[in-house]
Amino acid sequence: MPFFSSTEEVQKIMEALWTEIRENPEIAAPLLDSKLIVRFHYREPEGRLTIDCSDGHNMLIVWGEYEKKPTVEMFMKADIAHQFWLGNVNVPVYLISGKIVAKGPVNKALALLPVVKPAFRIYSSIFEDTLNRPLISA
Amino acid sequence: MNTFVFQSPTKVCFGENSAATAFDVVKDFGGSRPLLLTDKFLVDNNLIDSIIDGLKDGGLTEPFVFCDVPSDSDVDCVNSASNYAKENGCDSIIAVGGGSVMDTAKATNICLSLGGDLLDYQGLNIIEERLRPLVAIPTTAGTGSEVSFVAMIKDRVEHRKLVFGSRFLAPDAAILDPVLLVSLPPKLTAATGLDALTHCLEALVASVTNSAVSDALALEAARLIFDYLPRATKNGEDIEARGQTLVASTMAGIAFSNSGVGIVHALAHATGARFQTHHGITNAVYLPHGMRFNIAYSSEIYGKVARALGFSKSLDDNEASEALVAAVEQLLEEVGLPNTLRAIGVPEMKDAELDEWVTLVTEDPAIIFNPREATAEDIIAIYKRAY
Repeated sequence: MPFFSSTEEVQKIMEALWTEIRENPEIAAPLLDSKLIVRFHYREPEGRLTIDCSDGHNMLIVWGEYEKKPTVEMFMKADIAHQFWLGNVNVPVYLISGKIVAKGPVNKALALLPVVKPAFRIYSSIFEDTLNRPLISA
Repeated sequence: MNTFVFQSPTKVCFGENSAATAFDVVKDFGGSRPLLLTDKFLVDNNLIDSIIDGLKDGGLTEPFVFCDVPSDSDVDCVNSASNYAKENGCDSIIAVGGGSVMDTAKATNICLSLGGDLLDYQGLNIIEERLRPLVAIPTTAGTGSEVSFVAMIKDRVEHRKLVFGSRFLAPDAAILDPVLLVSLPPKLTAATGLDALTHCLEALVASVTNSAVSDALALEAARLIFDYLPRATKNGEDIEARGQTLVASTMAGIAFSNSGVGIVHALAHATGARFQTHHGITNAVYLPHGMRFNIAYSSEIYGKVARALGFSKSLDDNEASEALVAAVEQLLEEVGLPNTLRAIGVPEMKDAELDEWVTLVTEDPAIIFNPREATAEDIIAIYKRAY
């Protein structure tokens, strides 16, 4: 059974998480330095999130349609995204097995994996606070 | 034990003069008008005559040969090859050459099969359907591209390597004909052999993706390389040594396609991109240093490999690991390869230049499979030791 019951739940969580990331200079600074536009395509439930760091100063968090062409696009089940932020996804294994599809110069995005790891620590509480339910029963 | 996925969709055919059967093999997969993709050197030196004869005997009186593949192939070359194939109604590809030719063939197959702009297929697992039949015939024993799921093509506009990865990129068949390697010069024989050995030793320690299946292939391939590469380098006409190193390279290719490579490849890719050094030779220079960096995390595996290959009887993994690194260094010496970056023409980098190069290393996809995370300081330290 999927962790998220609806697209709205995925949107709430991901927007709340990325807002925290944007406020955290330790994580946000290297992301802004990369100037990447990364788009995440979620399925089961469907959703699309774009993180635009292209101007190097402001991180834009856009749910749904967005006119700018992304540098890199990642496609995965929403459950995989959830497990990733809990620190449970081994990205190399998921890429080799095809559970994560990456479009574009993926090396740029993969290089940022160590950068976002500190966000694993805050995801559980964001999940519980945002959805108002304990992670264990999600 | 890791959960793992292992796949190897490529049929492997080995034998002296087996390249002559290429047309029959491509027919087995449904091809009838193959594009023969190769390089000018092989055509000019009549090294692919048996394949052309096979096509003519099979009824293609004027085979479709595209031989303008440079040593470091690019997007323009892929577009030219696919246009040529489309204009001539080709329905399949036979690739004969080294890594550049085989990677060009894979990228050409994307354009021939799916149409559109090659750049739209850049990435991992984007291609989700079967492509046209592709038969790969390697003329070096190193890259493993004849069985791998990846193609790397240069974008000369953006000055970077584009990565295409999908299980559907793997050739349908690989024909391993040791006769085609007889004229490969000693230095290239040694360099490509060390590339294959690097595939083995990095796949074995890729701790989160490896499996007993890929380990078995990598271990036996390493044994064959240690045993036969010196012979193949000393005497190019030693068909047994050529055959064994060719088989080893293919086995290593299957192993790393499933397990990944690691920091040595990331360092070699970045150095090659910056200074145009040969991939195999650059791997060879970094290999002992990359292994020493990984020993703290991988001594158990290196120790097992050292004991299995007879380089150490010690039950102390660290001691056995050092014996394995020493065996690699001795192999480099035996096959006449340089062992420093300075000796292969890499200028000494400082400050900003070094920082820029470190970014290339950390952005290389190979590094995510390495068992030990490397900081910028670690990477600079390895560079300095290898210099």
